[in-house]
Amino acid sequence: MNDFFSKIAELFSTPEYIDSLLHGFLLTMQIAYFAILIGVALGTIIALIDTAKPSKWLTIPKFICTVYTTVIRGTPMALQLFIMFFVIFAVKGFPSIITAIIAFGLNSAAYTAEVIRSGIQSVDIGQKEAGMALGLSNFTIFTKIIAPQAIKNIIPALGNEIITVIKETAIVSMVGMYDLNMAAKDIGSGQNMASYIVPMFVAALFYLATIYLITFIVRRIEESLRKSDLRTEE
Amino acid sequence: MDKNTELVIKDLRKSFGKNKVLNGINFKLTEGERVVILGPSGSGKSTFLRCINWMEEPTSGEMRFDGELVTAKNIRKMRRDIGMVFQHFNLISNMTVMENLTLAPLKLKVMKKDEAEKRARELLKHIGLSEKENAYPASLSGGQKQRIAIIRAMMMSPEVLLFDEPTSALDPESIGDVLSLIRELADRGMTIMIVTHEMSFAKEIATRIVFIDKGKIIEEGKPNEFFAHPKTPRVQEFLEKVL
Repeated sequence: MNDFFSKIAELFSTPEYIDSLLHGFLLTMQIAYFAILIGVALGTIIALIDTAKPSKWLTIPKFICTVYTTVIRGTPMALQLFIMFFVIFAVKGFPSIITAIIAFGLNSAAYTAEVIRSGIQSVDIGQKEAGMALGLSNFTIFTKIIAPQAIKNIIPALGNEIITVIKETAIVSMVGMYDLNMAAKDIGSGQNMASYIVPMFVAALFYLATIYLITFIVRRIEESLRKSDLRTEE
Repeated sequence: MDKNTELVIKDLRKSFGKNKVLNGINFKLTEGERVVILGPSGSGKSTFLRCINWMEEPTSGEMRFDGELVTAKNIRKMRRDIGMVFQHFNLISNMTVMENLTLAPLKLKVMKKDEAEKRARELLKHIGLSEKENAYPASLSGGQKQRIAIIRAMMMSPEVLLFDEPTSALDPESIGDVLSLIRELADRGMTIMIVTHEMSFAKEIATRIVFIDKGKIIEEGKPNEFFAHPKTPRVQEFLEKVL
């Protein structure tokens, strides 16, 4: 036990170790942040195409979206990452962080699209009909009625997806990137087995704290959005 | 002065896939008429009503509103003059009562904001729900929701008001409130079409009863004649069961 505490002391008193962890954490957050942005943007587009009324203009886009989500959701993330690194962006000198962001962004888009699609489709059909019967345009019906209600269904599941992306970025250590996960392994290596324990637990705490914070923020957003569902008046 | 013809429908047909729900309906509606549509469940009476403002797009047939041919392109404009009240009220759940009432007049630019809010307050006061102005639909009872849904349709001063089983989802006490509001609109000369199961209300309010079975109008007439002397065996059988 003494050894354990001395290891902790050692970790926090060695600037290189702290530096490694922070660098790793920063890379993890950079990949996750931009991947989520791509995921939400692309996922929204896919979901809108998916939920749009079928028409001859949309036959091919709808088909592409279906194939896309099926392939992405049907293959392992690690394999997609490898394909990005060793096949599609196997160009010497191409920044690996960009490759990783694209890989995770494209992956997250498929899941986000499903989250948004189901959020839109779970809005009661009567809400749309009310807008139609009042003579509103499809655009107004979507922006004023469907979207605000769909967001309430989307936020919790989207929070879940954000958390998944942050944790899943840990597999970039498989292609040699120095993320939080890799930093923990690096700090612990070259010594004995026990030396892994402390950096790995510290890395775990980093992940946990980040995700706890995100969960907290998502909860708050959910609560403020649920205002109109309350049975009591303001 | 002759009353205007509001609506002329010729050979209206509607299928959902292979399921033929409406099999050629011919119908004419004149200003000030109050038509109650009766029929067994699954007869297509709700579908008929929903085809009038194209909640369901007709499969074939011709429809003229105010003399103008109704098409997919102009139906949005027509809907301003054809109000609809739904069985499940369909108040917009993310909007307050006031926002529900003023949404269409403001978005369609038929009223200014203060004008729309003034009218909304008058109507709310009239139905005794002034204090619900800033409430969200979730905090209202079924009867309150439906009466607000009715005045929401009235905000646009439509020429025709369609009611799709307006009391079927209500408790007995609320039914009375909603029916008296509809009765009041009728007394003021509103042109109305209702699908309902409230036979005594139908008898009282209708100027004409239309009976639909298997997607066709099989009998129609004035309420007294219709209820006292039904002509077709199908209607006789129906009335025996429900009266």
